Amino acid sequence: MTVNEIEERLIHGIASITSRDKSSIAVDTPFHELGIDSLGLVEVLVFIEKAFKLQLIETDLTKKDFETIHSLAGFISKKL
Amino acid sequence: MSFASSLSENKYYLSGSDWVISALDYTMKKATSSGNMSQVVFELGCKIDRTLFENHLRGFAEELPVLCGKIARNIYNLAPYWRIPKNTKGGAGIEAHHVKNPSKAMLLLEKSANRRFKNENEHVWFNFISTDKQKTFLSMAFDHRLLDARGAEMFLNLFQQYLAAGNNPRILEGIRLSAPSGLSDWMRKFYAGRNVNRRFIALSRMAPDGLPLPFGKGMGFKFKIIAFDTDKTKLIYDNAYREAGYLMEMPYLLAVVIQGISSLFKKRGLPVSNFLIPVSIDIRACEDTKQELFFNHVSYLFFQINSDSMNNLKGTINSIKQQMYEQVKAGFPKDLAEASFLTRIAPRSVLGKLLRLPFKGKTASFIFSHVGKNSYLSSEFMQGKVENVFHMPRVPVPPGIGFFFNYFKGRLNLSISYLEGLLQDEEVAGLEADIKQRLAHVQHDE
Repeated sequence: MTVNEIEERLIHGIASITSRDKSSIAVDTPFHELGIDSLGLVEVLVFIEKAFKLQLIETDLTKKDFETIHSLAGFISKKL
Repeated sequence: MSFASSLSENKYYLSGSDWVISALDYTMKKATSSGNMSQVVFELGCKIDRTLFENHLRGFAEELPVLCGKIARNIYNLAPYWRIPKNTKGGAGIEAHHVKNPSKAMLLLEKSANRRFKNENEHVWFNFISTDKQKTFLSMAFDHRLLDARGAEMFLNLFQQYLAAGNNPRILEGIRLSAPSGLSDWMRKFYAGRNVNRRFIALSRMAPDGLPLPFGKGMGFKFKIIAFDTDKTKLIYDNAYREAGYLMEMPYLLAVVIQGISSLFKKRGLPVSNFLIPVSIDIRACEDTKQELFFNHVSYLFFQINSDSMNNLKGTINSIKQQMYEQVKAGFPKDLAEASFLTRIAPRSVLGKLLRLPFKGKTASFIFSHVGKNSYLSSEFMQGKVENVFHMPRVPVPPGIGFFFNYFKGRLNLSISYLEGLLQDEEVAGLEADIKQRLAHVQHDE
């Protein structure tokens, strides 16, 4: 799966979690600017587990990994 | 003429969450001085013209007959709904007070947080407190049956928009005042109920610890408001990032409160085996806030922390995060919201008793919530600067104590709400000092 494809799926999932339109979510927007809080972040991690079969809750995810959807997609791509 | 029109014969069918809140209102009226209500407080850094405010408020409230509604049951299908009158005068009363010093306002705010609504048609009222200094306190007491915490802030946000638009009632177009009866998809509701039941059975293996309740009925609630400034708030959020991870403020705040309460138990010589904490979460699905302004759009996560991990902050945080992940992955909050539709057949008096059954007469060790994003979006109210916004919720009894965090424009607030007589003044002071020290400790690099 390419990084672009991962980004597309993340945008789809985050749009559903945040009740926003997909077109309003840019790949370079920081997560905290998307209105995501603790619960929203956990929902994103659950989405990632279901979509990519990757459990990230125990890993040392840093702010840098969640800097943007693009950086998260890069992190996921390395793990796949 | 009202622009906030109902589509279905002035009926808003109550959801399961609404009905549970309503049952709690019933039990709280029996056990304490008032029902399930809360108060949102604006601290304004200016004087406000009270008469002008009253006039604006009257016009705004007249556009919203939902403020004067009451609960009724459909005689054919028995589903409970909020009956909205066709038109109304009033709907949001106001009382005014004056204090010389702003520091004296808290006593009045505490009194207004406990004042029972005058009748079954009053659900919102305002307390206007002017001072000799350039400061005004404006509180809105609201019935939780009509508004949840976020809805209350959204309501005031809408009021500010109404004022900014020159009192134009068109700003109220689009408010949803009807909801389907929810009398369908029974299999989905029953499966959800089965899942919820299984989780409650697992949680109820040990009765949760709670503070002993004081004797007597008709007691009010007392409040301790801790307002952190922007520097302290930044320090707290930095600590949360370091201890709990990116965007994990809620687990961090909850873990600190757990440690604080555990410490209080030990000072009293009370045994500590496990705490059960329900945490309310917002489940609004619409980007348009007017669609879900009124009534309750919340579900809950339930956290159970054993005494083994209470002293270890990291361990407590990890346990909270793991439980959060597991409940979200299992779809528990959605199942709880869906299953609670099944409770609507029960009268409120019966449901109030049923809510205590799973946990052997107790409902929780304490209540907790964290509203990380304010819904009052303006920095002004009636052209005056809003310095702070905080909440003063009453809490179901048991447990009779709750911790409520909210964030407003770079400042974190903590409101500790407790039944009169549950805590001594020294214990509250100790708890405040303990929580402040744990939250905003300065990490020294080794």
